[in-house]
Amino acid sequence: MFNILSVVFKYVFILIIYLFMLSIIRLIYLDIKGISLNTLSKNNYLKLINQKETLPFKVKEAYSLDKDTTIGRGNQNNIIIKDPYISKKHLKIVKDEGDYYLEDLESANGTFVNGDKIMDVVKLRNGDRIRLGQVEFLFVNRK
Amino acid sequence: MFKKLISYRVPRNLLVLIDIIALLLLFAHSTDELDKFTLITGIVLIFIIYVSNFILLKISSGDHYIFLIVTMLLKLGIIMIYRLNPKLGARQVVWVSGGILIFFISYIIVKKFKKWDRLTLFYGLGSVALFLITLVFGKTIGGARNWIKFGSFGFQPSEIIKIAFIFFIASFYTNEKKFDKNGKSGYRLLIAVYVFIGFLFLQKDLGGALLFYLIFLVIQYVYEKDRKLILYNILLASIGAIVSYFLFDHVKIRVETWIDPWRYVDNKGYQITQSLFAIANGGFFGTGIGLGHPDFIPEVHTDFIFPAICEEMGIFTGIAIMMLFLILVYRGFKIAFSQSDKFFRIVAFGISVMFGFQTFIIFGGVIKMIPLTGITVPFISYGGSSMISSFIALGILQVASEELHVEEVEEHE
Repeated sequence: MFNILSVVFKYVFILIIYLFMLSIIRLIYLDIKGISLNTLSKNNYLKLINQKETLPFKVKEAYSLDKDTTIGRGNQNNIIIKDPYISKKHLKIVKDEGDYYLEDLESANGTFVNGDKIMDVVKLRNGDRIRLGQVEFLFVNRK
Repeated sequence: MFKKLISYRVPRNLLVLIDIIALLLLFAHSTDELDKFTLITGIVLIFIIYVSNFILLKISSGDHYIFLIVTMLLKLGIIMIYRLNPKLGARQVVWVSGGILIFFISYIIVKKFKKWDRLTLFYGLGSVALFLITLVFGKTIGGARNWIKFGSFGFQPSEIIKIAFIFFIASFYTNEKKFDKNGKSGYRLLIAVYVFIGFLFLQKDLGGALLFYLIFLVIQYVYEKDRKLILYNILLASIGAIVSYFLFDHVKIRVETWIDPWRYVDNKGYQITQSLFAIANGGFFGTGIGLGHPDFIPEVHTDFIFPAICEEMGIFTGIAIMMLFLILVYRGFKIAFSQSDKFFRIVAFGISVMFGFQTFIIFGGVIKMIPLTGITVPFISYGGSSMISSFIALGILQVASEELHVEEVEEHE
């Protein structure tokens, strides 16, 4: 009885181990695909905090913030995220004299910076966490 | 439900599946004497590993793959050690649980304390002190004088020194300007490293000496500005290796049994030939757990765990383990690339190199690719000090995978 089980299980074991490895390699592949080297060499960008594979829609690992940027579900935005909890025009990030300001475009579910819902325009600082819909970004501003 | 359980999208669940199969197998083996203690420890371990993977997702914004890979390795190790010796297996479960706890503790400590890169002297002198203690109070186990015993509890200081050594080199290269008064700072580092290696050599810990040397060589290759030094380093080591071959018996034996173990099959070459027999006996898919005879190999639960796994689970599992280590080292390099803090970049690089070479030295040794030098397989071999130091290293790697500067700036404001 034990012998038969052991012989059967050795094949199952090998199968599972390789399946496991495949899944890790798949995760790493997703991870590499998300990095664009151009973005990370810049000084100002939004970095995704969520685990990418837990989100059911496409989102990049990092977005650069060269010019004024709008985020939303609609196709006319600079950064398009197809999250059902994000409004068509959700928020706008404006650059002014080296500082970045975030403005909520009256979105349905609101925008949160470091956990506080924003009402007006806020100035963004390095390390701020921006949450909209199911997505959370880290604001990086290296001077 | 079942489809989700074995889906390759959730590697966590695959780990649990392996545990359940292993437990089933264990109970098929001992149907008449159902051991409650084993069942409880088994289930507790599954729970600990599952939960700690989950906690890590919540508390760390860094890399989540390295811990997953390591848990897979842990499982294969525990299954094999339990099969070889249930008593050691139960103790290994304790070590692993302790190791995971240490992983989280070292993660928190390394993250909270900010001045790691300024303690160069402390790392150097502390390591030398530990070496001296080992030399004076050390016990000889398995041919190397590298154990310290307190009653029944023993540990290997060289496992902790390994991490201090990486910190030492990293802090040196981070503060190179401070040490660089006449452009000869590289030479001083070289001398310091050779002192470390000399101590290991005195303890007859050849595997350790080789590992320290390789870690240093690789970090030096990347960060040393004076390129001539690398050449000197290689030359010095080659001369040292040749001289020690003629001077020391224990080095000579290793090389002789590597070139032709069959001539000494009844004494010096017994271990390595048994290891080769075991691997050959297993074939592609192995004999099945509990159906082989890996217990013919001396020291099978520590250094020679790899041939035992190959015999009973097949060379495919052996290759899988190597590939898992490969992915782990690759992740480590990637962490080093994306880390902006220089000290933690070198540390992450050094630790991944350490994992890589450690597995290479022992796997190469047991399959007779390079001369055999005793060293443990990280995360798989039985052993408390090895397990704990590997987990400390992993915790440091976890810290290095996060964006450190962002948080520092936050605190200054």
